[in-house]
Amino acid sequence: MHELAMAQSITEVVVKKARENQARQVNTVRLLIGDGSGVVTGPLTFCFEMIAGTEPLLTGARLEIERVPHRARCRVCATEYTIPDFVICCPNCGRWESEVISGTELQILDMEFEAENEQGVQLCQN
Amino acid sequence: MPKLTIAQNILAANDTYAAGIRQALAPRHIFSINFMSSPGAGKTALLERTIERLGGQLQIGVIEGDVETSADAERIEAAGASETVQINTRGNCHLEAHMVQAALDQLDLDRVELLIIENIGNLICPNAWDLGEDLRVVITSTTEGDDKPSKYPQMFADAQVVVINKIDLLPYVDYDLEKARRQVLALNPQVRFFEVSCRTGAGLVEWCDWLADFARREVTSGSKELQR
Repeated sequence: MHELAMAQSITEVVVKKARENQARQVNTVRLLIGDGSGVVTGPLTFCFEMIAGTEPLLTGARLEIERVPHRARCRVCATEYTIPDFVICCPNCGRWESEVISGTELQILDMEFEAENEQGVQLCQN
Repeated sequence: MPKLTIAQNILAANDTYAAGIRQALAPRHIFSINFMSSPGAGKTALLERTIERLGGQLQIGVIEGDVETSADAERIEAAGASETVQINTRGNCHLEAHMVQAALDQLDLDRVELLIIENIGNLICPNAWDLGEDLRVVITSTTEGDDKPSKYPQMFADAQVVVINKIDLLPYVDYDLEKARRQVLALNPQVRFFEVSCRTGAGLVEWCDWLADFARREVTSGSKELQR
């Protein structure tokens, strides 16, 4: 159940950013999750909502997850393909010499929030 | 509604700890290994046999991760480890780098040349957390079935070494060694295999000699970094 630990990491980052930016309420958190990362959308959303329910700044916040396909490029024939079940064999030339080019992402992209004071919001990016 | 770009890895906090661990170990020339497997594959047994064989030539420190009890740390101490620290995760299914950092603070690193971190027995969750290790070793065993690599692909895909344990039981179990190897190679063509029995000692000389050699070479070449 590593999705719970992932959800905890996400909420820690988001709460910190929300405080730095005087957020009153975080509405949406957008994530980029690779299909080769081993993170499952359903449990992650469930765990996030469970933790968000205990944090006033995140009450009702939604998680939007964008999945990235697990893809590889063959070093021999340069074919790019979607990796089926982590088996990195080139479907064109049958060689086992591919490099993974996407699908390991585990990223928090951005968040939408309501500011404490709607006027003169200055975003703190750090 | 304001939108704030975050663009940060979900596990950035863990990665910071992992980087700190590498920075602490590299100047001391300590080589570190993350042992991962399902429960009962023989992580602790392999540790014991490794310490018994290499303890005379290398000072071995062990960070022993378990959900509960210090039974394994006691076994490891009895085998002759220089330094041992037990981490109890109290329910958590994997070790995280901050736990390893806290354990390192309890070790006398001057008495450690090879650091082995025994992760929680679990073929899924531990894989996502970088512990600052130099080498990932996955142990699997003939009693688990030869389909484990295909069923838990990520764990096997990200390992540099796969040790197949309990080969003494091959005559008694339906385990096809070649099938298991083929499955791992399909996920991880560069992986190195060892076939051992911690019970009879088969294959342990090859494993221990390779490990001692590899650790020395990595440390002395100064190119000590995780190859993932």
